[in-house]
Amino acid sequence: MYTKKKRVFAHVLPLANIRVSEYIVLVRNPEHCCQGSSLLQTGHSAKRPQLWMCRKGWTPLIFANLSYSSKDQVTIHFINRDGERLTTTAKEGESLLEVVVNHNLAIDGFGACEGTLACSTCHLIFDKDAFQKLDAISDEELDMLDLAYGLTDTSRLGCQVCVKKWMDGLTVRVPMDVSDMRKQLEVGKQSKQ
Amino acid sequence: QDSRCGLTGAGYRGILCSLPGEKKEFLQNGPDLQDFVSGDLSDKSRWAEYKGNLKREKGERLHLPPWLKTKIPMGKNYNKLKNTLRSLNLHTVCEEARCPNIGECWGGGEYATATATIMLMGDTCTRGCRFCSVKTARSPPPLDPQEPHNTARAVAQWGLDYVVLTSVDRDDLPDGGAEHFAKTVLHLKERNPKILVECLTPDFRGDLKAVEKVALSGLDVYAHNVETVPALQRKVRDPRANFEQSIRVLKHAKEVQPGVISKTSLMLGLGETDEQIYATMKLLREADVDCLTLGQYMQPTKRHLKVEEYITPEKFKYWEKVGNDLGFHYTASGPLVRSSYKAGEFFLKNLVEKRKTKAI
Repeated sequence: MYTKKKRVFAHVLPLANIRVSEYIVLVRNPEHCCQGSSLLQTGHSAKRPQLWMCRKGWTPLIFANLSYSSKDQVTIHFINRDGERLTTTAKEGESLLEVVVNHNLAIDGFGACEGTLACSTCHLIFDKDAFQKLDAISDEELDMLDLAYGLTDTSRLGCQVCVKKWMDGLTVRVPMDVSDMRKQLEVGKQSKQ
Repeated sequence: QDSRCGLTGAGYRGILCSLPGEKKEFLQNGPDLQDFVSGDLSDKSRWAEYKGNLKREKGERLHLPPWLKTKIPMGKNYNKLKNTLRSLNLHTVCEEARCPNIGECWGGGEYATATATIMLMGDTCTRGCRFCSVKTARSPPPLDPQEPHNTARAVAQWGLDYVVLTSVDRDDLPDGGAEHFAKTVLHLKERNPKILVECLTPDFRGDLKAVEKVALSGLDVYAHNVETVPALQRKVRDPRANFEQSIRVLKHAKEVQPGVISKTSLMLGLGETDEQIYATMKLLREADVDCLTLGQYMQPTKRHLKVEEYITPEKFKYWEKVGNDLGFHYTASGPLVRSSYKAGEFFLKNLVEKRKTKAI
């Protein structure tokens, strides 16, 4: 079905308060497509791509899948307690706890206090370089982190670490529980026998 | 014909035909609409035939077995209770922790005796245990000074014979909320001296003076849950809680108030072994705990621990026998049994029976 839609240039978008689906956004060059879609993160996504002929020099923004934009999706790897690697993409600004819960990662008993710094179940272990780049730790977080089992020098609480662009490809480890450690020791003993 | 959903009759049949052979057989031999409608699937006698997996394998999530399915709560009694609670700004652990028995207890059962476990000191806890879905915060809102009075009023309104009071952990208060607790019991007893009061308390971070305050407030049953076997305490509960601390609380309550009855509860299905359960029950009996309740752990939300095993009703009956043999006054054991489930009925039934035997 043909609907006549108004055309808008991408650079005016941040200033205008518009409903995305009513417009075709024109961008200067294809690289701006991703940028354009990040401006349009209002949750609308046109399901069918729309290609319109337009003036030379301006390329129409192809509304393929607006909610996906490669620029602000950050890939994070979680190594679960049993060694399994769980990979997901997260938005910038989400806390690592939110990533685990919202993406339904199979890490159970994670985030019992819903990120209010009243438990240590979202305890994660980072590698040295990543750990140093994280924001400073608060006193409240330190208090709770002290109670965590298997504390290391590069431990943080996942609810206090927010996803940033530099974390693309980051790997974090979920520390083992005391009961997992015991199981490992038992299995070790049995195999020796 | 139905162009909106894009599937014509032929197209739909086509989807069914493309199922693999085993699935087709399963669909043909499995339950059909008549089974669901007739109510047979919830029939107790068919529980033994349940073939689903009861022990969790890696990466799996267990399905709920039929003996744990409960009805959706509704009805006059249920709504009446709910409205009374809201109007007096009271909270119940029944709602906050998503208890599966809420329909049954609040509805009143066949004898129309409704029970509710009132949760004092608000609905927000300062600890985050991995089995509990009560809200958590670092600094919850301050205590409501009217709460002891309102609770007594509500309980008087309901005309209950047995009431269970519980609370959240309040590590932000200097006495952990013990004074507030004790005041509530006093008010209750003032209004109705004959009422039986059970208090399910936190561990007050091991502060025995706080335990004393509550134990001497005039209650009849002092309850504190150890939740799980010592080997799993670190995994299941908040790190600020532990087995020794909880046992000390129960022992101390009995020391300062010898006439009080002590009670505790265990959740099964978190990965403990039978030997561990038996050893824990022995430890509890040695600490002179009088009553024990055993129930099935059920995962409240996806942020909490997964269920490792669903224990069968027969196994629960076995543990009940073990508990009675070990010498507990009573052992309430069943998949849906919780610390205060039918607490009044069990207690009173036992009391009455014991009095009868003494009379003889």
